[in-house]
Amino acid sequence: MFIDGIEKLNQWQNECRKALDANKKKVLVCLGPGCLASGSDQILDEFKKVLKDKKLGGITLDSIKKTGCHGFCARGPLVVIEPEGIFYSKVKKNDVAEIVEKTLEKGELVERLLYRDGKDDKPIAEYKDIPFYKNQMKISLRNVGQIDPDKITDYVANGGYAALAKALTGSKPAEVIDAVSKSGIRGRGGGGFPTGRKWASCASIESDDRYVICNGDEGDPGAFMDRCIMEGDPHSVLEGMIICAYAIGSKEGYIYVREEYPLAVINLQKAIEAAREHGFLGKNILGSGFDFDIKVNRGGGAFVCGESSALMKSVAGEVGEPRAKYIRSVQKGLHDMPTVLNNVETFATIPVIMDKGADWFASIGTKKSTGTKAFSLAGKVKNTGLIEVPMGISLKEIIYEIGGGIQNDREFKAVQTGGPSGGCLPADKLDLPVDFDSLTEAGSMMGSGGMIVMDDRTCMVDVARYFLNFLVEESCGKCVPCREGLYQLHDLCTKVCEGKATEDDLALMEKLSKVIQTASLCGLGQSGPNPFLSTVMYFRDEYLAHIRDKKCPGGVCRELITFDINDKCTGCLACIAVCPVDAITGEKKKIHIIDQDLCTRCGSCYDICNYDAVEIK
Amino acid sequence: MVHITINGKVVKAREGEMLLSVIKRQGIDIPALCHHEAIEPTGNCRLCTVEITKEDWNGWKKHVTSCLYPVEEGLIVSTHSSEVMEIRKTLLDLQLARCPNSEYIQKLAEEYGITETSYKTRPDADNCIMCYACTRICEVLGKSAISAVNRGHDKVIGPPFGEEPPDCIGCLACAQICPTDVIEWSDDGEVRTIWNKKFDLIACKKCGKTIITREFADYLIEQRNLPPEYFDTCDDCKRTEVAQKMGGLVEAAKEVTL
Amino acid sequence: MVSQVVDIEKINEVIDRSPKTPGALIGVLQDIQREFHYLPRMAMEATAKELCVPLSKVWSVATFYNAFSLKPRGENIIRVCKGTACHIKGADLILEQLENGLGIKPGETTEDLKYTVEVVNCVGACAMAPLMIVNDKYHGNVRCDRVLKLVKKD
Repeated sequence: MFIDGIEKLNQWQNECRKALDANKKKVLVCLGPGCLASGSDQILDEFKKVLKDKKLGGITLDSIKKTGCHGFCARGPLVVIEPEGIFYSKVKKNDVAEIVEKTLEKGELVERLLYRDGKDDKPIAEYKDIPFYKNQMKISLRNVGQIDPDKITDYVANGGYAALAKALTGSKPAEVIDAVSKSGIRGRGGGGFPTGRKWASCASIESDDRYVICNGDEGDPGAFMDRCIMEGDPHSVLEGMIICAYAIGSKEGYIYVREEYPLAVINLQKAIEAAREHGFLGKNILGSGFDFDIKVNRGGGAFVCGESSALMKSVAGEVGEPRAKYIRSVQKGLHDMPTVLNNVETFATIPVIMDKGADWFASIGTKKSTGTKAFSLAGKVKNTGLIEVPMGISLKEIIYEIGGGIQNDREFKAVQTGGPSGGCLPADKLDLPVDFDSLTEAGSMMGSGGMIVMDDRTCMVDVARYFLNFLVEESCGKCVPCREGLYQLHDLCTKVCEGKATEDDLALMEKLSKVIQTASLCGLGQSGPNPFLSTVMYFRDEYLAHIRDKKCPGGVCRELITFDINDKCTGCLACIAVCPVDAITGEKKKIHIIDQDLCTRCGSCYDICNYDAVEIK
Repeated sequence: MVHITINGKVVKAREGEMLLSVIKRQGIDIPALCHHEAIEPTGNCRLCTVEITKEDWNGWKKHVTSCLYPVEEGLIVSTHSSEVMEIRKTLLDLQLARCPNSEYIQKLAEEYGITETSYKTRPDADNCIMCYACTRICEVLGKSAISAVNRGHDKVIGPPFGEEPPDCIGCLACAQICPTDVIEWSDDGEVRTIWNKKFDLIACKKCGKTIITREFADYLIEQRNLPPEYFDTCDDCKRTEVAQKMGGLVEAAKEVTL
Repeated sequence: MVSQVVDIEKINEVIDRSPKTPGALIGVLQDIQREFHYLPRMAMEATAKELCVPLSKVWSVATFYNAFSLKPRGENIIRVCKGTACHIKGADLILEQLENGLGIKPGETTEDLKYTVEVVNCVGACAMAPLMIVNDKYHGNVRCDRVLKLVKKD
């Protein structure tokens, strides 16, 4: 059905809503990355199998929806029953029949699958009452986990493409740019550049051709927000791009998806075909006379291609080597034409701004960082998952109220944000508001949204070394300060981890870092030393412990630690069972012994011991 | 025409001109290892970094590579500020760790006070500083026979698959442009060898001097629409031919006027 | 899947799926990688010719990006995620177990061409860290001592 105008769209929206309401209940099975990794696709199939043979009033096979990431990855696989919002966690394939029989047929709850904070706490039936979900505010993630990404009808029923219709029929391109500027939205990919200003710059350059590119490279290890949006709500990205294209006058767009996300490529491709079929992409969009089409472009696997000029080289079929940005991409980008490049989350937010208005968006968050931000909360926090919160919320609130605090009730040590370009912040910075500027002032940055929580069993020098190693491998190799400088910085950091460094080495690292920051050609190099500089600023004593005392306080750097069993050992044999190199000997109820020659210091025994009998020296 | 200030002196520059050429015109010497007039600048070596500011920047400074920075009215440039010197020193220190055996780098580093590198030297180091001049000139000539291979610290310059580059015509442009003389080649009578590939050399039919490789000759004849016998004689012999013809004409003209 | 003998017809068929322009280079190489599980030399040479791209540029692109392997890979591909969350939960230890048990480092293939170990950048399943993927089957919360068992099982 070709939607040729706003009236047709409204009509279709009503039809889609009616069709959805025909199902008395809906079963949402989360197929987000975490749940999928735990086999939730088998749970989906099981539901289809069980319901096929049953005749339930108002509940058909159409009631079962696969969705994108519902958010609470730590408790997956997740199944949500609508309209009540009943939340079942850690669901197994064998639980499906019971859910169908008890909840769908009889309207009863399967108590053991309900969420409980602690083992002995009261269960919470509806997800909106669960602390993890209560404090969130979803804008870019509004549909993720709620709709079937393969169904454009789901997207339209939820208000999809209404913003586009409003913009095309009711606003001039300049007015669209004004609204985006007024909303205050800044780039969600990490750079935080005012989006309205970027669009206005590009639109002001005289050119027959100009491009819209969506950066779906999401290279920061630990970040998966963009993956969830591309997989779970691809139409929101398309709609944002089409609105942008209208605003700046572009006919051609690309979505650059990193090589490691094949499902995102598939889902975006399906969405593009559906959008074309219904007249949201292609010629004469919504009967407005405006033409625009989008192609999906797969990355080849290179973190540096998240940098805009390298990304554009990659789209053109070349190696992803960035260029000096003294002349910006809005002036000369893809094929040397004016180009707007924005992140997935930014585009997914645009339709909501056009629909609800710039003032509404600007009223959320803080004055300089308006709106909300999606984060992937991971690491040693209890409630790992995908969240979205208003800007200005404190780190403490995210980690403790939404995140539920540290796993195994260990001590908080640091939170890492901004990926390899960011830094680590210690406990006394937990009250900082999360926005574009506050974290940067403290020596880190908000970045694209990866947030890794670390406990006392983390070595901050090792964290710096890990990020430097990542950057050395991902550096394109073109310029000297990044290629040679980060390589030497990593080498020196490894020396610290191995207990072979001197204080002169540390001074050299600090001096070298400053030059790498100032002299590198692109953002990868310029922000490369950040993980080292932020950890040496807040955890200098750990560096000095490695250097002066040859000790690793976090118990991680293997050259500097040994594991030993003390007399608290009850002889339970647990550590013997998990030792991967059979280095522990002992009998039942007798103290076990670790053979230091065989021990690889992996820490498996330490992690499994319930009696504090394993010591790290 | 724009006016910019370099090290306190106001100078004129063409609109859109790159800062490096203006600096050089003043006779100021700053290193620019990857820069060459025949190729587009890329900003690989970062040594031409200078400090810039403007009056309305309220003291805020920026460090940019002058080879790629287009001049603007009112730019205030400092080519040897303490921060710039620190940058160049560290960059040369890193280059020395990369190419400890290169006399070119050793000399340049010494000018900036570095006699020994502070860092770990590259094992089995060659003298390639990864300036990309060779690959760029090969691209300009139109052959793109060699390229930058791999990524990051393992990056090297080389031919496809590490073997004889099928597109190489033996023109020697890469060897000639290389600032550290890394690319090996040899002319042995009738044969030229470069990148392990052998080329037949054409000799002048008149004086016997070797002129050019057969492949390069064919390439130029095709690209520039030259007569196929163009490389039968060398430039010197061609000049002699022309001079003889001209001398003959002059004699003939003299006879006429007389 | 190991393929030492490469069918030129198949190569041309794969190349023909895309427009024959320089911009299509990375996409074509990815299709070849998917088809043959590595980039055969013949395929790279054919790509250069068909897309009118210098062979040196194809070689640059093939050696720059993580997606491409220049050597045939093993029947079983084991991928260990090296994202931040996986790292702090012990991804290095998993790699160590694999090296001890299979004798190969990341990027290498066993002599009998049965196993290839690779490290991959964050796959976005951080809640299940540390992650090991054996032939596209995801294993989350992998414990050190279970690594080899999981590999041999699949």
